[in-house]
Formats: sequence, C-alpha cells, structure tokens
Amino acid sequence: MDLDRRRLLSLAALGGTTTLLSACGGGENKGEGPLAGEKSQDSSAERPGTDVNDVVALNAALDLEHQAVAAYTAAMKTLTGDNLLVARQFRDHEREHAATLSAAIKRIGGKPNGPRGSYSFPKLNDEKAVLAFASRLENTTIAAYIDAIPRLNNPNVRSAAATILATEAEHLAVLNSALGRRAAPAAFVTGEEQAS
Amino acid sequence: MSHSRRDLLLTGGALVTATAAAPLVRSGSALALAPGDDTKILSDAIALELLMAEAYQRATGALGGIARLFRNQEHAHADALTVVLRTIGGSAPKVDVSGRLNALASGGGKRGTAEALIKLEDRAVKTYVEAHRNLKDARAMQLVSSILGNQAQHLVTLRDVAGQQKVPTAFETGRN
Repeated sequence: MDLDRRRLLSLAALGGTTTLLSACGGGENKGEGPLAGEKSQDSSAERPGTDVNDVVALNAALDLEHQAVAAYTAAMKTLTGDNLLVARQFRDHEREHAATLSAAIKRIGGKPNGPRGSYSFPKLNDEKAVLAFASRLENTTIAAYIDAIPRLNNPNVRSAAATILATEAEHLAVLNSALGRRAAPAAFVTGEEQAS
Repeated sequence: MSHSRRDLLLTGGALVTATAAAPLVRSGSALALAPGDDTKILSDAIALELLMAEAYQRATGALGGIARLFRNQEHAHADALTVVLRTIGGSAPKVDVSGRLNALASGGGKRGTAEALIKLEDRAVKTYVEAHRNLKDARAMQLVSSILGNQAQHLVTLRDVAGQQKVPTAFETGRN
C-alpha cells in the first residue's frame, strides 16, 4: 500500500479519526502498511556501503536548514526587541541543525550539501510580515521532516531528526504567539498552516 | 514505586500519586519499548495520552482555557493512535486513569501546575523521540511525529507560564 503521507497527516489534522481511518484503508489493512526505512536504494553516485536513501533525505532537510539560517539572518535586519532576540536564537538553532545533519551525512558516507551562494526572499517591510514568512518556512521544514523521517533507514538518525522536528514545532509555536495566534492551535503538527 | 517515577510525579510541590501509572512512564531512562513491537508502542502511547488528558483536566482550575485545549488535543492524539493501532492489528488498551493522578498541583497555582505538566510533557517528548527509533510502520511513525510536534508546542506554552525559556535547546529531547 503506497500512501501519500502528506495527505494522510493533513487529513489527520483536519478530520480526526474517521478521516484518518479512511486514509489508512479503513479496517482492511492488517499490518500491511509501509515499513519505515524500506525504500529503494539508488546507489549510482555514492561510495559502496553508503546509505543512499538516508543521504538524499538528510540532504533535503539540510537544504531547508541552510535556507532557514539565511532567512532568519535576513529577518534580523527588520525585527526589533524580543522578536530580534527570537530570530537570533532560532538562526543559531538552525545552524546547529545544519551542523548535525552535515555530520550525520558524513558518518554514513555521503557528502553534505553546502548553503547556496544566495537566497531569494520576498521583500518584507514590517515585523508581522517577516514573522509570518518565518512561520511559513517553519511549516515547510516541519512537513519535510514528517515526510522524510519514515524513509530513513538508520534508527538513530530517525530519532535525531525527530528532536529537530520537535524544535521546529517549538519555533512555530513561538512565532504563532508573536503573531497573536494560539501557540499550539492543532493537535497534529503537520506543516500545514493552521487557523487559530 | 521506582525513584525515577517518584521524581516524575512529585513535581511543583504537589504530590501526584501514581500507583499504576502508564507503562510509558514506568522507568526513568529506559522506556521499556520492545523494538519493532508497534502495537505495544502505540498501546503504551495511548495510555500515556489518556493520563496526560486527565492531568490537564485536573489543571483546568489553575490554567483555564490552555488546559482545556491541551486536554482535548491529548484526547485527539489517543483517538488517532487508536485508529492506527487497529489498522495494524492491535486492539485499544483498556485504560483506567482514575486514581493515577491525585490532586495535580492543587494549591500550586499556575506556575506550580505548569511545572508539574512540564515534567509530564518532557516524558512524552522523550517517549515519542524514542518511538521513532523503534516503530516499523511508516503511518504510525508519521502520526507519532505529528503528535511529538504538538507536545513540544505544549512545552513552549507551559514554559512560558512557568517563567522558563520557551525553546531552551536546538534539539528537543524531553531531557531538558
């Protein structure tokens, strides 16, 4: 059974158990769901023994972390007061995530992606717009981790990625509060924008 | 009752008796999750969620709307976990939380109640992070990921109420 995982989680967030049951195939699926980490291995461009699947998934997450570092750095030019302090702290967190992901990729024999030379962000002139943009970036990153984690073969890498996902959700909660929204508006953090 | 469990439940100056606490909160670092046993992991998670829902119910006096919102979210987690548990061939555990939490933070005020709940949320985060290591079913893992994110967001709110730093670390492990 090949699931569209993003859809599954979106449905869980929106519709609760009935919809989730439907997305899972109702009562028909008796332990025949996809297994975590069981994905095809394309070994064309990596060293023998390299877990290509994990390298690809981790590099995709690393790209988003590099982008987040750049975004928070850019945001610091507009934000002031407590919001500026938050942006600086979150930028530092994203840097730590990037460093950890890079090290993990190297440990499993891959080559970590570096940051791009430049990033194109929309011109945002007020603090609220900057915070809203940061919120969207955090949601994108959360969705990427939720999609990637079950694809990872290495259990230790999965749990490490989960600690990063949890921190991104915390960032989102702080940004939600700064935007005047509920910090935890929905029972399921999926990376979908939530009304509050 | 083990020392670690006592640490978990004796919080904020409030005695929380847990003579039959959920299996997931039984021991300190070891979570007693059998690798690969998805049905047990999910069953234990459901028990933990129902325990936390009860804790939030008892915290409504001190925390008001926040506690009610989080109580409802814990119930939603339990419901969703139950659905996935059934799809992988398990059956919903019979969980009786009455008597497991006794007078959560009564008299502790907002701050004391928040500190007590932080201990529970930390344990939940730790449990769900560990579950990512052991779960085999991808759907179960994605659900657990989305719940983990929500528990972490609860921590942000509770830390704020308790006067703590909202996001103290780049890696939320539940061991902060």
